[in-house]
Amino acid sequence: MLRIVDGWKSYGDLQVLKGVSFEVGEQEVKVIFGPSGSGKSTLLRCINMLDPLDKGEVHLREQNLMAPGINLNAIRARIGMVFQHFNLFAHLKAIDNVSIGLRQVKKLPKEEARAKALEMLNRVKMAEWVDHYPAQLSGGQQQRVGIARALSMEPDVILFDEPTSALDPELIGEVLQVMLDIAKSGTTMIVVTHEMGFARAVASEMLFLDNGVIVERGTPQHFFVSPKSERVKQFLKQLDILYGSHKELLKRSNEEESK
Amino acid sequence: MFQVLPQPIEDILRVLEYWDHILAGFLTTMELYGGAIVMGFFLGLLLALLRQYGGFIISRIATGYIEFIRGTPLLAQLFFIYFLPYSMNAILEAQGLFPIPIGKWSFQTDIIILDRIITYTIFDHRMLVGLLTLALNSAAYQAEYIRGAIKSVGTGQLLAAQSLGMSRLASIRHVVLPQALRRVIPAWSNEAAYLPKYTVVVFFIGVVDLFGKAHFIVANIFRTLTTYCIIALIFLALITIISKVLDFVHKRTSIPGL
Ligand SMILES: Nc1ncnc2c1ncn2[C@@H]1O[C@H](COP(=O)(O)OP(=O)(O)O)[C@@H](O)[C@H]1O
Ligand SMILES: [Mg+2]
Repeated sequence: MLRIVDGWKSYGDLQVLKGVSFEVGEQEVKVIFGPSGSGKSTLLRCINMLDPLDKGEVHLREQNLMAPGINLNAIRARIGMVFQHFNLFAHLKAIDNVSIGLRQVKKLPKEEARAKALEMLNRVKMAEWVDHYPAQLSGGQQQRVGIARALSMEPDVILFDEPTSALDPELIGEVLQVMLDIAKSGTTMIVVTHEMGFARAVASEMLFLDNGVIVERGTPQHFFVSPKSERVKQFLKQLDILYGSHKELLKRSNEEESK
Repeated sequence: MFQVLPQPIEDILRVLEYWDHILAGFLTTMELYGGAIVMGFFLGLLLALLRQYGGFIISRIATGYIEFIRGTPLLAQLFFIYFLPYSMNAILEAQGLFPIPIGKWSFQTDIIILDRIITYTIFDHRMLVGLLTLALNSAAYQAEYIRGAIKSVGTGQLLAAQSLGMSRLASIRHVVLPQALRRVIPAWSNEAAYLPKYTVVVFFIGVVDLFGKAHFIVANIFRTLTTYCIIALIFLALITIISKVLDFVHKRTSIPGL
């Protein structure tokens, strides 16, 4: 359904993406992970044309998004985006954050847009908070509004850019739960995340991006049981320290002590 | 008989005898101020948007304008605009063309309050030059305040709006500007408080504003200190009110939770 072929992107002298190719099927959840600075956010921005590729192709439902003269606004309306730092519109209440796209882009009448927005907020369990402004909400609540905002446009695919990495640990769960719900309802998703529990639950395939290249790809099972490259093994080890059962951390500190 | 002892009360009353002139001057000052701040705002907004979003060439032109205005004296700008039509007329006439009819038109009205008839010049070529200069000048300063506010909103808001499929223009209009214009109020208050005082430069091209009227009163009754103190107090009161109003507007428009 979404296909990116040999995508290249640079900023000045810095080559960020170096020939990235993959394909996302209907109702599939793809997880992308990799070290900071490897180009994950850039890749997502290239997919929804906020910052188009220098070279390569992006196809959405057999439509070439890189074709000259294409209406990028119309394309972006079909690709949802959830941001690491939420990027909610600070001057708008939760409900208006969700309905603004319906009003401005889909040109729905006010009442219809409001009803739809309420439905979306309900879906992310934020119905009680419709009249709150972003600054009055916790990070987890803000991110759920962000997800409702993306859902409201009924996009073909939603891109998540580390949706939980700016959250306090106790708020991560509520956001992941919402993401699991919408994944299970058949939404096509590309999720940049290091939440391996989430990946294990819903990802059909995981891509390890390093230095602008997809170094390794496979099912969650593959990565957790038998990753091939050293780079991936090393990275997953570090993740285990950060997110896992802390076994690794304990083992290391024991080793340090016994020295 | 020379005045030996100061007689403050008498002096003040003597100056206030000229209240009709002071009122006319005040109206002129307010007209210049109001016109310049409003026109300056819209032009400043345009300049800020062009500088921020205009792309390589247009943003440079906007920057050039802003820097030029901020880098040259207001009085020089006033004289430039005032004398420009005269110089042009010299050229036009030499070419046998029709000259610009400077000073051929002027709208005046008589305002009658109590026993006084106030002849008030609503508009003439001097007012036009004054208004235009102050607006063009204020626009450059306002543009910088507005641009600062736009930058402080951050690119994340624009990205989010565009990711919903909103055009760049719609994103700026519905997402960036509503936030920027709220944020700009405290900084913008500076300009709103400076500008009334800068309007007095029009004195040099013969517009009789509050300051010009002070000059007139002094020439008639020689109460220099008293007259200028009263004029200063009027400015002080005006600027205090402007600041209070803007504080109020800032509080009323602030975003809950921020
Ligand atoms: N707009 C930009 N201008 C210049 N450099 C950028 C820009 N966006 C990203 N980069 C650079 O590209 C590299 C990859 O960034 P990013 O895609 O954000 O990585 P990740 O999301 O994987 O951490 C980084 O070195 C970053 O500094
Ligand atoms: Mg990133």
